[in-house]
Amino acid sequence: MPSPRPPRRDRSASQRDRLVFALGGHDFSRRRGNEALSDYILALADTDEPRICLLPTASGDPREQIFAFRRSLADRTCHSSHISLFRLETEPVTAREHLLSQDIVYVGGGSMLNLLAVWRAHGIDEVLREAWERGVVLCGQSAGALCWFERGITRSAGRARAVAGLGLLPGVLCVHYHRDHARRHALLDASANGDAPGFGVDDGAGLLFRGRELADVVSGEGVGGAWRVERGPRGVEETPLGVRALDDPRPAIDAPTAEIAELRRIRALRP
Amino acid sequence: MGAMRQIVSFGGGGFSMEAGNPLLDEFVLDLTGKERPRICFLPQASGDADHYLVRFYRAFDAERCIPSHVSLFRRLRAPRDPRSHLLDQDVIYVGGGSITSLIGVWRAHGIDRILRKAWERGIVMCGLSAGSLCWFEEGVSTFHGAPERVEGLGLLPWSNTVHYSSEPERREAYHQWLLDGMRPGYAADDGAAVHFVGADVAQVVASRGDARAYRVEAVGGRVVTTQLATRYLGDPKVRPIVPPAAVARTA
Repeated sequence: MPSPRPPRRDRSASQRDRLVFALGGHDFSRRRGNEALSDYILALADTDEPRICLLPTASGDPREQIFAFRRSLADRTCHSSHISLFRLETEPVTAREHLLSQDIVYVGGGSMLNLLAVWRAHGIDEVLREAWERGVVLCGQSAGALCWFERGITRSAGRARAVAGLGLLPGVLCVHYHRDHARRHALLDASANGDAPGFGVDDGAGLLFRGRELADVVSGEGVGGAWRVERGPRGVEETPLGVRALDDPRPAIDAPTAEIAELRRIRALRP
Repeated sequence: MGAMRQIVSFGGGGFSMEAGNPLLDEFVLDLTGKERPRICFLPQASGDADHYLVRFYRAFDAERCIPSHVSLFRRLRAPRDPRSHLLDQDVIYVGGGSITSLIGVWRAHGIDRILRKAWERGIVMCGLSAGSLCWFEEGVSTFHGAPERVEGLGLLPWSNTVHYSSEPERREAYHQWLLDGMRPGYAADDGAAVHFVGADVAQVVASRGDARAYRVEAVGGRVVTTQLATRYLGDPKVRPIVPPAAVARTA
């Protein structure tokens, strides 16, 4: 159980201390890239022993996700917890107090539509905005990444389309970018018709925002890419963002995806 | 003439809570008058939990009925068009869990409007716990700890609470809210179910000999609880229990 500690964030954080880390796709399996992402996420907190809380709301609070999350952090220095809005908990916590006393909140994937609806029904949407303003690091994958933006491309009502999120961050986010073509096309359409900039993020890659500005783009295994998608003079343009591979000890390099793809092609040619 | 509008509101029970006692679930299937009724399960109050779906399909055998479910968390595996699927049922069965999350998810997908339409068309609506509270204007839930005043879809113009005799704290909160102006309503024990036709109680049935349901209202600054005549479903020879004259209790 997390150690009891009074809420430590009672004043408004400056813009650059308001962090959101949005992952295009991520799970809690113990793969090499995921280990690097877990380290990265925990290091976003300004403390050596961060308190990190999972919100698995978007998939209906399944036990498997909660167990995998807790297991993935078991041998790290942190206090992990979760809040279920669907299950009876043996020790009911006040969601607001608990969330505001965290260093990091991680939102799992699932249905973006359900995520926002259930949060609104419980007043969690307002609590998360407050947490962000107080400097609690917000992160998540898939629906848990889409939710922070003005709009997100979701399939939670069947067809891929743009749905309003909490609007902490500007623009439209699209996750699983090259895994799900219907989503990518929905983002291209939204960008062609709208004025807001869009981001497309592959599984394994993540965007870090400080305030409302993009500050870092990373990927766990160096394979996932990220793109800025905007209407340009010749139609919608996808501009690749420089992705920093977390497993790579070198400083940030631009567009490593092409190099890694080439390396893989060379390896594949070996007998 | 419109179809008969029916809701069966369980205080608790059915396959979710009374494994091996199918009386309430059988009662609902029988109301359809169909040989092999179509029954669709809505497990949103539990976040569409897999284990709950498994238990539903175990309880509602495909020999006896045509069972299905609609998942709103895993839309890709669910019927493509929930509206036509739901309107094609004989029974819609709502599972237990969080009433607040349930109503939130339904509204996000427009299921609230579809359920009203289904009810108006004569599809039997039923459920336990959150799946009971959801049909009423308002009710009392203790799912998230302390008793909470919650809103339902408002098909029935009453208030409601469930698991009545087993939770004194809930009962006290309900009585206080009734005194504060909550509309009159119905409370049911685990194992009791109130069958509404239109807005009126047609009968109360029970899967346990001692389960009861009550009409509860504030009258002149006091809460009056009236025990309703209850028919035990286990033995047709057992005569209905005649309700005593209004049992008055104050909060």
